[in-house]
Amino acid sequence: MSSMASPAAGSAIGRPVAGAIPGVVAVNTFREAVRDRILYNLIFFALLMMGAAILVGQISIGIERLVIINLGLSAISIFGLIMAIFIGVSLVSKEIEKRTLYSLLSKPIRRWEFLLGRYTGLLLTLVVNTSLMTVGLAGALLYVSRHFERGDASILLAVYFILLQLALVTAIALFFSCFSTPVLSTLYTIGIYVAGVFANDIHAIGQFTRNPAMEAVTRVIYYLLPNFHNFNIIAVASHGEAVPFSLIWQNTIYAALYAAVVLIAAAAVFSRRNLK
Amino acid sequence: MSAASQFWRSWAAVVAASVLFAAIAMLQVRIDAQTRPVAQQKEELVLSSGPMLQKISLGYDSLLADIYWTRAVQYYGGKLHDLSRDYSLLPGLLDITTTLDPHLLVAYRFGAIFLSEPPPSGAGRVDLAIQLEERGIKANPDAWDLDANRGFLYYWHLKDYAKASAAYLDAAKNPKAPHTMRMMAARITEKGGDLDTSMAIWAQYFTSSKDPRVLKTARDHIEGLQALKDERAIDALSQQYHAGFGKYPTSTKELRDAGMLSGIPLDPTGIPYIIGPDGKSGLDPTSSVIVEIPPKLPNEK
Repeated sequence: MSSMASPAAGSAIGRPVAGAIPGVVAVNTFREAVRDRILYNLIFFALLMMGAAILVGQISIGIERLVIINLGLSAISIFGLIMAIFIGVSLVSKEIEKRTLYSLLSKPIRRWEFLLGRYTGLLLTLVVNTSLMTVGLAGALLYVSRHFERGDASILLAVYFILLQLALVTAIALFFSCFSTPVLSTLYTIGIYVAGVFANDIHAIGQFTRNPAMEAVTRVIYYLLPNFHNFNIIAVASHGEAVPFSLIWQNTIYAALYAAVVLIAAAAVFSRRNLK
Repeated sequence: MSAASQFWRSWAAVVAASVLFAAIAMLQVRIDAQTRPVAQQKEELVLSSGPMLQKISLGYDSLLADIYWTRAVQYYGGKLHDLSRDYSLLPGLLDITTTLDPHLLVAYRFGAIFLSEPPPSGAGRVDLAIQLEERGIKANPDAWDLDANRGFLYYWHLKDYAKASAAYLDAAKNPKAPHTMRMMAARITEKGGDLDTSMAIWAQYFTSSKDPRVLKTARDHIEGLQALKDERAIDALSQQYHAGFGKYPTSTKELRDAGMLSGIPLDPTGIPYIIGPDGKSGLDPTSSVIVEIPPKLPNEK
């Protein structure tokens, strides 16, 4: 983060006002991502959408709209996950590797502020990337069906849920990157993600055993793991079905709370880490 | 390095890469020739469990359902093209598709056609087609057309008019269903499989779909039934002609000249019907209309 602006963005004298430093770090993280051509994945997404829009009608029956929605939302989710995991695990390690972290922390920046800024910056990158892909998806949908339907509003909700999921994955990737190598952090994050997708099955396996101890263990694992199943409404969106409002606010709070817990843990680990 | 030598080096690299790619393509052709017989023998579903695929799809099951549906369509199209009678993978493909996405209505609608049509146009498994529709109805209680399709399967393929009528009545229970469903049920109960009822059912099928393949099938059947209806009318006139003149007419023109027809009747493709030496009418050999004998009324000769 060599182009990091002066932390004196918040006030003229002494430490900047609270929240200013993470904001500056976030903006620079976003700039860094743009400079690293991260958003080039949008070209691939656009090609995928165009190809699907043209091809599917030729090789299948009656699912042109469905494919565009399913493929578009799945691609938004997969591209976002790849970015969240691979960029997330390098947020801290890259700074250490380039030794820019030392000069940064010599300034009046707290470690948790740096972490929060990096997290928010990647989140901002993901929001911009996801928004642009959503525009591409809407364009492909308009090309295929010539109009939008009332049920298409649930596509926006599905995108919002994907963003909540990405916010959680980014927090987990950042947490591991605070104390592990990028390769191991990637593996841990993918592991947690897959386990989180299968959280319901882990719970069900415990119930199948009819063993009270096993049931208790799997129940604890179930509640500890981030339940990524909650955020998957791609099938619901593709069929234009309504999403209950309660699910929207519950998922929002769930993601916010879980990400907060993980970020606090990450800050605690990073604050104690010996960087010498 | 001079600019000229750099230019020639670049060109040499492009040419070398092209030659190598050509060699790779030729090699692939040879490998394909060797492996194709093996690949053809191994036509099977490697992953045949829908629930298992649902688990390993990591939440992208609706996209996987689209892929499996496309695979089912391609499989059916390929078999249809080859005039094959072996559709053994079709039930499995449809089962996986509808397990991955139970709300993929198109898979029930068209899948039932693929399964029910007699070989070589389909798998000839009306029982599986009905099961598929029933699964679809269970997962999508609002989809009244699946009940109507089930009624169609009982009516057209199994000639079970009681169950056909009951299925149309089930469809009619849905407030979104058109009022014709109840009429269809009543008509089947009353008249069973007469030509007009068959035509009405195919017409309902025609109006319920936008897919060109289904529209063509429905249109072909409606045209065939119309031709059959015309032939029966001509046959009746032919018998009257025989009673009056002691011989059968040789053409519809003779019926017109005798004042029994106001004009020359044409089949749905615009070609006049022919009359055989036994007085029975039929389609001109050049006509593209396909006549399929519909289910008969219990009291029909």
